Amino acid sequence: MEPIRVLDIGLVPPVRSQAIYHGVAYALGPGTPDTVILVGPTDPYVCIGYHQELEKEVDVDYCRQAGLPIYRREVGGGAVYLDRGQVFTQWIFHRPALPAALEERFALYVQPLVETYQGLGIPANHRPVNDIHVQGKKIGGTGAAQIGEAEVVVGSLMFDFNFDLMARVLKVPSEKMRDKIFQSLNEYMTTMTRQLGHTPDYAAVKREYVRHVVQVLGRPAEYADPTPAELAATAEIEARLASDEWLYQKGGLRQTGAVKIHADVYLLEATYKSPGGLIRATARLRDGRIDDLSLSGDFTLLPAFAVGALEQALRGVALEGGAVRARVAEFYRSLPVQSPGVGVEDWVSAVMAIKGQMPVSS
Amino acid sequence: MTTTSNCNLPADLYYWIEKHTWARREPDGTIVIGITDVAQHLAKSIISATPKEAGKTVKKGKSAGTVESGKWVGPVTAPVNGTILAVNPALKTRPGLLNTDPYGEGWFSKITPDNWEADSTDLATGTGGVQAYEAFLSSQGIVCR
Repeated sequence: MEPIRVLDIGLVPPVRSQAIYHGVAYALGPGTPDTVILVGPTDPYVCIGYHQELEKEVDVDYCRQAGLPIYRREVGGGAVYLDRGQVFTQWIFHRPALPAALEERFALYVQPLVETYQGLGIPANHRPVNDIHVQGKKIGGTGAAQIGEAEVVVGSLMFDFNFDLMARVLKVPSEKMRDKIFQSLNEYMTTMTRQLGHTPDYAAVKREYVRHVVQVLGRPAEYADPTPAELAATAEIEARLASDEWLYQKGGLRQTGAVKIHADVYLLEATYKSPGGLIRATARLRDGRIDDLSLSGDFTLLPAFAVGALEQALRGVALEGGAVRARVAEFYRSLPVQSPGVGVEDWVSAVMAIKGQMPVSS
Repeated sequence: MTTTSNCNLPADLYYWIEKHTWARREPDGTIVIGITDVAQHLAKSIISATPKEAGKTVKKGKSAGTVESGKWVGPVTAPVNGTILAVNPALKTRPGLLNTDPYGEGWFSKITPDNWEADSTDLATGTGGVQAYEAFLSSQGIVCR
């Protein structure tokens, strides 16, 4: 079998940690080996998905003040904060070397990551289509793209992750939403450091990862350096990734009031104008049910504890009109509440408005 | 027609099989292009489509725009050289048309070709073209389901 080429590039400037796989992909020719790149950024940055609209997704002013550069990748998905807590594992393969069906392609790509985690004693598993979970918590996502003639799959070895800054760099409709994102990241994401109580040795984990890649693909691996042509293509891409024209291009991906935490968990926010005032519902959905809910706005609901009681009453309810209506009606029957200008149907409308924020692909 | 791979491949279109793009010549000589049923099955639910703008030139084998599904991003490879005459405006708000009707409402863009006769010689068409596409799918283990 043809060997896999491994480019263990170490720490490079943020833009290069993205540009390198684009460069290797664009430079791919018939004689280029299938390649696995291991790379991390020297400094933190923010990376947005191919079709996202920068200013709708990222708090650009905050990033500027914090000195965080922003780059747009040619791989889809959402905005993400990245730093040296992750080692990116980037596969740049000829198309025939990977399964055509995406489910199978992700399963293949994820396997050595899962086995590396398992080897450390972390009970990770593949959560199809393209997540890796540890007991219901996500330990990194993956993405795929065709770049030039190459098929690219990217992900990371998640040594550590800054949950606070991840929540901070996103553009969100309210600070309530930001708090919820932070809480949810903490609850539904994990890292090697969190799982083990310490950060494992980077070099040792990378070696293990490559060993698992060799086993999974049944092909030997050879460590090498990028070719001059690949470095030239990478430099060219760097200029583009850093250009305002590229960064601010209108992406076309529809803005939703939604943040995907992982495959089963979404944070959503929607507003509804009732006769008694504006109702803002911020909800975390897990497997289609309300996992957590905050209701705010300029409505009146008395006594004072009733808002919390209503939020509590709706937890665990499926996000379906009938189920929500039944629970709200029961709430009104069981508590002597006053809510001028806001009736059962208004709460139902406010909560169900969340559903309209769910991304199409989900 | 539906092939044994369960993919819908009309015999009257011109296919660039390996790129999973199709072309159709209109009576006025312009070329409508799009992604095939195979491509939309491989990509799954498409959430964004960004065709190159009207007025831009495209080269055969190069990208005429991009599509993003929940799990993948890729180019739509132009099957001819030419100039983009129009892009499908519906895709901006309804990119899922690429999934539901890849040869109809989900067309990608319309091109004024430089030389259709020359560029179409290596595109597959007719019953034989569909059979060739089917053979390729079979060799790759690709099915539409």
